This record gives sequence, C-alpha cells and structure tokens, in this order.
Amino acid sequence: MTAETDYRSHYTFAMDFGTSDFKFGPITCGETPRIVNNRGYFPDKNSVVYKAFESTDEIIVGEDVPLYLQSADDLSSRLVYPMRNGMIDRADDTAWRVVSALTNFGLNSFKPEPNNGFQGYYVVASLSSVSPRYMYERLLELFGQNNANGNVKAITVIPQPFAVAIGHGVTTCVVIESGHGNSQVCPISKYPIRAAQVVLNRGGGDANAITSEILKDAGYGDLANEEAFVRKVKENIGLVPADLDAAVDEAKRSPRRFRAKYKVPGTRIEIDLEKDSWSRFLIGEYVFNPNHEIFESYFGRGMPRPRDVKMGDTIFRGMLDFGDAIVASVERCPVELQPMLYREVLLSGGNFSWTVPERLEDTAVDAPTKIKLLLRQKGIKNVSVKMTKSPQFSVWHGCIIYGFAVPDNYGWDWQRLEGWMKLSG
Amino acid sequence: MHQTEKSEIPQNNLAFISGSEKVHVVILRSEDFVERNRVIEAILSLTSLRNSSQFLYLAAPRLLGASIDAAVFKPYGIGLLLFDERRIDEVVAPQLVQPTKLMQQTSQTPDPGLFTELATLKSMYTEMERTIATLRDDLKTLRRNSETQTDTREPTLSRIARHEPIFPSPSISGSQLPAFFSNNPWLDVLSKRGRSGDEPIAG
Repeated sequence: MTAETDYRSHYTFAMDFGTSDFKFGPITCGETPRIVNNRGYFPDKNSVVYKAFESTDEIIVGEDVPLYLQSADDLSSRLVYPMRNGMIDRADDTAWRVVSALTNFGLNSFKPEPNNGFQGYYVVASLSSVSPRYMYERLLELFGQNNANGNVKAITVIPQPFAVAIGHGVTTCVVIESGHGNSQVCPISKYPIRAAQVVLNRGGGDANAITSEILKDAGYGDLANEEAFVRKVKENIGLVPADLDAAVDEAKRSPRRFRAKYKVPGTRIEIDLEKDSWSRFLIGEYVFNPNHEIFESYFGRGMPRPRDVKMGDTIFRGMLDFGDAIVASVERCPVELQPMLYREVLLSGGNFSWTVPERLEDTAVDAPTKIKLLLRQKGIKNVSVKMTKSPQFSVWHGCIIYGFAVPDNYGWDWQRLEGWMKLSG
Repeated sequence: MHQTEKSEIPQNNLAFISGSEKVHVVILRSEDFVERNRVIEAILSLTSLRNSSQFLYLAAPRLLGASIDAAVFKPYGIGLLLFDERRIDEVVAPQLVQPTKLMQQTSQTPDPGLFTELATLKSMYTEMERTIATLRDDLKTLRRNSETQTDTREPTLSRIARHEPIFPSPSISGSQLPAFFSNNPWLDVLSKRGRSGDEPIAG
C-alpha cells in the first residue's frame, strides 16, 4: 500500500445528510457509521435546563437533543429538521446553521490523536439528487468557514443515488431512490447522467395519506390524524398487488385470508379492516401507480392528488407511475446504453420496503417484482430489478469508496459538480 | 399355525405362521376411528409389512364395511376382515405378497457394473484430492511472496505533493479496508477520474 492510499485508508470521512438521519464517520468505522437525527435544537438560553447543563452551544445536535427538549410547544419553534424533503431553502439560515452544527459535531466526534501525521480528512458529503446548485455552493462554503482547526484537507459533494451505485458496486445502472416526500430515478454510467434524471412528487408520505383515508372509511377517524400511528399501520398491513383488480377481487372473495389486523404494541389500540381488508392493496399500489380509477373517489373526497411541482431547476412529476418514470429517464440516455441500464435497476430508500406475507404470494409482491411488472406493461422485458445490498448504509459506503479512490489532483468543477475542493495542505 | 412371539409385533396387530407363510393382521378398533391419524397409521403399517409377511389383513369393526368399497383392497392384495361381538368374516381374501425386487437383488450376486462405477468414483476422488493439495501449496507460496515484497522508498507525505498518487486496483487486499471495498469495480473507475478519455455522458 502506498503512502497516499495508506493515508486515505485512515482519513477518508463520509457524511450522508438523509431526510431523517445524519450518518457520518471515517473509513475506520468499518461497515457501520455513527447515526444521529438530522435535526438541531435551539435552546432558550434563559431556561433553567440550559443553565443547568452549562452549555454554551447556540444549537444542540446529536444524542444530547432530547435532554434539552421541554414542552411540546417548544418543538415547533426550536426543533429544526433542515432537510425534510432533501432540500433547504436558499434563505433558510436557521436550517443552514443546523447543518453547520452537524458537520462540526461529526468531525469533532472523530478527532485523531495529535502528532501522528494527520493533515485533515478527505470528506465526502452526499445530498439528495434534487439539490439545486446553491446547496452545493452553500455546503462547500460552510466547510471552508468551519475549517479553522484544519480538520478537513479536501471536501467534495456527491448525489445520494450516485453514492448508492458506488456502494452497491455497479457502474452502469438506474438507481431509484424513494423516501418520504419524493422519488428520484437516476441513470448512472460511471458518472450520474444528470440530464436524464426524472423526479416524482410522490413518496412514503403519500402512502401514509391513502392509509389515513382507509382508516377513516373503516371507522378509525380519530386515529387517522396521528402521523406516527398511520405510518405504523401502513408498514404492517400495506401490500403491493401484482395486479390491483385481481388482488381486490380475490381479497373480496376470501376476506378471512386477507384480513388486515394490527395491534399497537403496549396498548389496547387495535385496528381490524374485516371485510374491507381488500383496501390494504390500495396502499402499495398508490406508491407505484396512482392512476387507477379507484383512487379518483379518494381525490374527490379531498385527498390531495400528487401534482407536478417545480422546485429549483427540477420538475417533480405527480402522477407518473414508476414504469413510465424509468422509461422516460432511460430513453434520455444514448441508445446503446439503454439495454445495460434496464439490466441493472437498483431500488433504495424506505419506501421500497414492502414485504409479502406467507400464503399471499399469489397476490402480493415485493417492490422489485412490482417494478418489473410495470416495465413489462411498457414492453420492457430484459430487466433486472434489485434492492440495494445495504439499504440503510449504501450511501455512506459509496461516499467512503469515492473519498478513498478519487485522485487528489481531481479538482472541483462547477460544470460537473464533482472533484476535490482543497481546504488545507 | 402358530402365533409369533408377542414381543415381535406391535399392539393391535396379530401375526401367525401358517406352514411356511407368515400372516399379519392389523386390527382397527371402534375407538381408533376417533383419532384421525390412527386409521392412516394402520394402513401405512400394512404396506411396511410387505417384505416380512406373505399374507396381510386389515381387521375392522363391521360398521366400517358399510362405509367402504371392499374392492379397494383387492388390487393391493390386502385382505379385509370385518368383526363384531359374534363373528369374524373374511370379506376380501388376501393375495400372496411377493417380496420387492430390491430385496430379491440383495440376496443375489451384486451387479458387477456397480463395482466398476465405484472404482471410477474412487479414482476421481483421489485425483481431486491431489489437485486441491496442489492448489493449497500454490496459494501458500503466493501469500508468502506478496508479504515479502516491500516498497524500497521511504514513504513520506511530501511525496504526495510532488508525485501523482497511485491508487489501488480493485483486487486490493481487504485486510485493512471494510468488506464493502472487495471486488468493487468503482475503485478502478474512480481512480481514473480526471484522465483524458474519462468524460461523463451528456445524456
């Protein structure tokens, strides 16, 4: 091992800014980074709690946040989640201050021993692929301003789907990242093919919305407004149908077999859809394809229809199904590349974690199978669809590999949005 | 005819020797019909006795006769006896049970083809063992050679500034790096970033 690679094998550092979690750590963490919530708390400096902890921090981040939380009223004004939909408003200084505090917290958590030749980390940060240019500018600037102690030798930023492809070990593929608020279809061929990216204004939050409507119809209106409860119900009873019409017919014929029941652990709260258990298939179908006529009645009753929205430079499509989104994205790529892209479709993100209960394998499918079926409907047959190897850490893994391998003399380029921005040494 | 030793036969079974032939009777009682598996057990035990008895009977309460077609037993050579408090009737006569071919063959001279095949398998196995031993020695030699190779230059950080850093090939040993590095083609792809010819696709 050369001196350079030996140095990188100790001092490569990755930061994954997810919508809920901030995952960070140097290469020496091995398989698992440290994880804290991607949030910051602005304490009331006049409060007894603040004085009792003798903290001088303007913003509290990391594992200490719960120690400072006070009343529920406090939460809305003082507890800030900066990247709820993968983006931070240009003018949202509060959110940027939280990001700054998190980066400092991350680097200070792994301070190397003095006098061992440390000249700063090679830091790779990852952002959502929908992040506009100003987020890159702001983040790189922030690292530069915070580097008085020379913790960072060089910094770069890469999109999360690109990191997923690197972590998974596939150089030509389509990565589909689906989280709470949106889903991104990103072709990769040694580089992200940014011009071919397609973004959907639909994610796990929309599955929560249809679940809430189903609970209201079943008489659980009082519980249907509690987001955490609705999410639990979705995760426990929601199913993805191979074919919605066939699944609903079968479930109506055999309601006992498809019965949807869920009891919240540690409580007396239990929901039971009984003869309406067929509606559990609507939850999964809505995520992948909201165009079935059955959903019109829910839109008619006030459930928000996913709309096309422009945020920054990107148009987020509302009603495009995943099959059409993948085809639209791949067909923006060179023709000779297209078959190779279809042969490696990678799914990443919590919104693809759908299970198939025993005895329902004839009707319910998992996410990779559903995507394959949607593509087959569009005439695309030679397709391979897989979940990423490590759904929770593939972005962080990809960042570490990027930071280890990219040459030191590959400088930052604002056209490509890649390369090292040197901060010290 | 005499009854065989009681220790040899399970409960609810009777066995007799008649001349040179062995007769085996599996008895189903009225209470056995309450237990679902008992009936199936009785019928399966009859089939397992084909190699040890020449005549097989199922004995069942007369009530059973009303619910089954006795002709079912004929193709299998199993006799059927129906009984009540007053008498026992042979409803279906058993047929002589022929021992299975496997049993026949074991009593004959083993197939010479089997010996030839066994000899071939043995020599293949010996050859494979020899090959594995050779591969093991080669691997040990390779490992020894890679450990003894050293970089004669003094590694200093100042060299990073003066020379283009060298990056590992994808086959780098994973002993110092996390497991997700092994066999990852991106190590090679990313190490070429910035070289001419390595350009992104416009899309």
